[in-house]
Amino acid sequence: MTNHRRPSRRRFLLQAGGGCGAIALASLLSSDSSAASGIADSPLAPRNTHFAPRARRVIWLFMHGGPSHVDLLDPKPELVRLSGTPLPESFGSVMTRRNVAKNPLLGPIRPFRPRGESGLEISDFLPHIAKHADKLCVLRSCHGDSVNHPQSVYQMNTGSILMGKPSLGSWAAYGLGTENRNMPAFVVLPDPGHGVKGGPPAWGSGFLPATYQGTTMRAGKNPILNLSPQPEITPARQHEALDLIRRLNQKHVEQRDFDEELLARVNSYELAFRMQATAPDVVDISRESSATQKQYGIGAKETDEFGRRCLLARRMVERGVRFVQLYSGDTGGWDAHKDVTTNHGQYCRRTDLPVAGLLDDLDQRGLLDDTLVIWGGEFGRMPMSEQGKGRDHNPWGYSVWFAGAGVKGGYAYGATDPVGLRAVEKPVHVHDLHATILHMLGLNHESLTYFNNGRGDRLTDVAGKVVHEILA
Amino acid sequence: MRRKLRFSRGWCLCLVVVHFGFAGVVPSAADSDVPEVAKTAEPPITESDRSHWAFDELTRPRVPTFDSAASADLTNWPRNAIDPFILKGLVDADLSPAPEADRLTLLRRVSFDLTGLPPTLAQVDRFLNDSSLDAYEQLVDRVLESPAYGERWAQHWLDLARFAETDGFEHDKLRPDAWKYRDWVIKAFNDDMPYDEFVRLQIAGDEVGNSARVATGFLTCGPDMPDINLQDERRHSFMNEITSTVGSAFLGLQIGCAQCHDHKFDPISQLDFYRLRAFFDPAFRFTKNKVASLPDGNDAGLVSHLMIRGDFRRVGDTVEAAFPRIINAAHSKPQVAADRKNLRTRLADWIARPDNPLGMRTIANRLWQHHLGEGLCDSPSDFGLMGDTPVHGELLDWLATEFPRRGLSFKSMHRLIVTSATYRQSSQLPDDTSAELIGQWQQALTRDPLNRLFSRGTRRRLEGEAIRDAMLAAAGQLSQRRSGPGIRPPLPQELVHTLLRNQWPVTKDSAEYTRRSIYLFVRRNFRYPLFEAFDKPDTNFSCPRRNQSTIAPQALMLLNSKLSLDAATSLATLIEESADDSEVDAERQIELAYLRTLSRPPTDDERQLAAEFLSNSSSGKTAALTDLCLALFNLNEFLYVD
Repeated sequence: MTNHRRPSRRRFLLQAGGGCGAIALASLLSSDSSAASGIADSPLAPRNTHFAPRARRVIWLFMHGGPSHVDLLDPKPELVRLSGTPLPESFGSVMTRRNVAKNPLLGPIRPFRPRGESGLEISDFLPHIAKHADKLCVLRSCHGDSVNHPQSVYQMNTGSILMGKPSLGSWAAYGLGTENRNMPAFVVLPDPGHGVKGGPPAWGSGFLPATYQGTTMRAGKNPILNLSPQPEITPARQHEALDLIRRLNQKHVEQRDFDEELLARVNSYELAFRMQATAPDVVDISRESSATQKQYGIGAKETDEFGRRCLLARRMVERGVRFVQLYSGDTGGWDAHKDVTTNHGQYCRRTDLPVAGLLDDLDQRGLLDDTLVIWGGEFGRMPMSEQGKGRDHNPWGYSVWFAGAGVKGGYAYGATDPVGLRAVEKPVHVHDLHATILHMLGLNHESLTYFNNGRGDRLTDVAGKVVHEILA
Repeated sequence: MRRKLRFSRGWCLCLVVVHFGFAGVVPSAADSDVPEVAKTAEPPITESDRSHWAFDELTRPRVPTFDSAASADLTNWPRNAIDPFILKGLVDADLSPAPEADRLTLLRRVSFDLTGLPPTLAQVDRFLNDSSLDAYEQLVDRVLESPAYGERWAQHWLDLARFAETDGFEHDKLRPDAWKYRDWVIKAFNDDMPYDEFVRLQIAGDEVGNSARVATGFLTCGPDMPDINLQDERRHSFMNEITSTVGSAFLGLQIGCAQCHDHKFDPISQLDFYRLRAFFDPAFRFTKNKVASLPDGNDAGLVSHLMIRGDFRRVGDTVEAAFPRIINAAHSKPQVAADRKNLRTRLADWIARPDNPLGMRTIANRLWQHHLGEGLCDSPSDFGLMGDTPVHGELLDWLATEFPRRGLSFKSMHRLIVTSATYRQSSQLPDDTSAELIGQWQQALTRDPLNRLFSRGTRRRLEGEAIRDAMLAAAGQLSQRRSGPGIRPPLPQELVHTLLRNQWPVTKDSAEYTRRSIYLFVRRNFRYPLFEAFDKPDTNFSCPRRNQSTIAPQALMLLNSKLSLDAATSLATLIEESADDSEVDAERQIELAYLRTLSRPPTDDERQLAAEFLSNSSSGKTAALTDLCLALFNLNEFLYVD
């Protein structure tokens, strides 16, 4: 067995820790031929994939709190029939978060209808997304391992129910690098309400270098934390200070063998400066036509906020950001314990039109061909009722849909049991979902590893199967 | 793929991911495939297993000597027993040690290293004007007596202890007394508590006596999920986490790998794992929605089991507490009292025994690592077969045997290491130097590019905590208050929004905002932004060595954050107040700014550059001075210690 020596810290710095700085260095030197090698050495340099990718970028619409598959994407005639009666004993015992196993079943709140040419059934909760039915590939047999929110949020993002592992977005950034040297590779657009259950570790980089963690961005003048100087510092003042820093650092590094780590930091200031110019432009949607804005529901009360973020997502992927994750739903979000009608009614009204607009817009711009759009939560919801009209968490079977990047459209994969309680046909564990997403990005989930405390650690732990059948 | 993308070889990946399966809901084919073994088989430990350098018996190597033919320059170089080991490595590679760093560099180096703070102006004056032969040794003694020493070295330990003051997960609930353990660690370092006691109290303080109970915060300060539905699952994760952390922090073993199956590479069986866990099993009490606790007295009747495939629902063979076989060739058993009231004390005493090869090598390596920037073994919590093989194995063993001879005293070891000629080497080529020295230097860079032979001094970037402390110290803002509950200074609103409501109630007394970084509140699911940008580790896992990334958000943070500007403004005000507002004083202001940030006066060139900066500035005098201070905080020279 080869003793695979872990890279020493200093070598690691040379290879990876150069961070964005090394990119900036490359850019600084771009007038000469050394630029190429500078880029190649940076941790965010575009990398070769393991095989040809179908998706060059990902937009992940994360419906935080757990959207109800039985009310939105997974029609269950049997659930309609049994509504009001207890779960038949043949289903066995069920672990639930709030002891709802013995509660009466609750039929879908709104009717499902066949949509598009494919006839894929989608609920009336989502009239706009439903128009894109022929683009959607619904994975109806997803399942995970925990009935709790944070554990499931972590698992959906990192594969593990424990916090602190690298997120899918950070693995993608690690595996693919960035296409835009002035922007992070992995951007998160959190819900402007309060945070997700489990907090920022959901988009953390775990044991991967910090370079790969999700950078949270917002609309407005200061889209990234500390992007702009404090109000009293004018651009002229900052420019003078940066110039002084550069000159003093230059002398310092000359006296220190042009140490690469020092150089990388010198140049990280150049990148920071360029980000100050680039990022506000990326989030400036005023240049979008009013037709486009309308397409996303911008300007309309309920859809404005999420519509803006969907449009930002498109602007980012258009500019080379690899992985954009949008959260819908603050602390509670789609967590419809009490009343699905009210809760999902509200969240669907906020998101349905903007998501449809995003699909349209990506399609019109030819971006949908190689952009994977993912829609889903950390789990689905129980067929049993809670407090009469609500539903509890269900990690044992739920739906996630994919669109774009060559997935089969108008297609449903796998199935839950007749009431939508458990994934029974072609189950897709979260690890399988991750393996498939990496596969679409051209990455083999078993080969994308990072040496950590004596092991080559990976996103899918020791599991994960690519669901090839969903690929057209 | 490019070099960082490694191809997996089916390695053990389940250190943390306990096998949760389908929680009894979906019948799983995978589970039924696995035959349940009645009696768990255990691979024997072979001679070859024991011959691995780290498991091998600890013997004291002879300090290398040099024959008289060697040049006097070389034979005179060593200052203490560390140096001949290093020198031998250099001579073998046809290299020479680097010249000693200048006094000011040494002062800053030892000050940041031992206290995490820059020297004060008075300390600079005193040291530079001290002409006694042992001025440096005296300086080291003074620095080690400063209470800032404990505040610095405690952070290294708290990284290993995955210290945080909340549970983690959804509610990330506050643990109101967690800070007491942090204070205990600081005090233990400042009191120079011997290592055996340091280990004993953290693993078994409650067994020793009520006053030492606070030290067991080491065991309980990890992540926990008190509200999870399945309390068995919670208990299992919690106990496995403690066992793994004890293995990596005290023994340098990635023992956690063996919770699901025998370790793939190291001679640690799954039974070894659960035997180690059995030391802890009887001690803990779990109550739903309450933090895990160590009640008085163990549950003497509790029987420990191996958990098949690390699955909390699959109880396997019973196990008894025992030391990992690989470093227990004699198969000695812990002498445990009938009521098991000394169970963990026995484990602690075994860990810190002078002849425990892993216990002593691990801690000796950690001490070296924090002083020299890199361990002699550069996988400091993995001394197993997948870990690094030290270049200077003999030096490591010498240090590991020297530590008990010095009464297991950290301070004595610090003194030894920082007064060595090795430690005092320059990290840069002196300005006006001979052609011969330049040649030697180039050779060292070529032949020892990673400085694994310690052919020169190590340049190190300050950690986020030290950067903040150094800014506050330079600005004269650093609070001298010590200990007490964690402080929550105000945060940018956009960050507060990524948290649940009321997870960052700001501390009322604003005088507390400038306390040392170690006193800032540690939330498990949220890192203080400056620290996070500068690689403060996740508190879910024991961290032996921090990443050191260089990323643009660090520049944005230091350049644009309110924290930086506040410190720069305070420093500018301080300077204006201490230098009279007359014509000549622009020069004095520049000098003060340099002294307070970089501990040295500016060179002539720098003086001129700064003077031009101040006079050409587009803003007013005070603003220009503030900008100068802000620029100094952003210099590599401020962030890196030579």
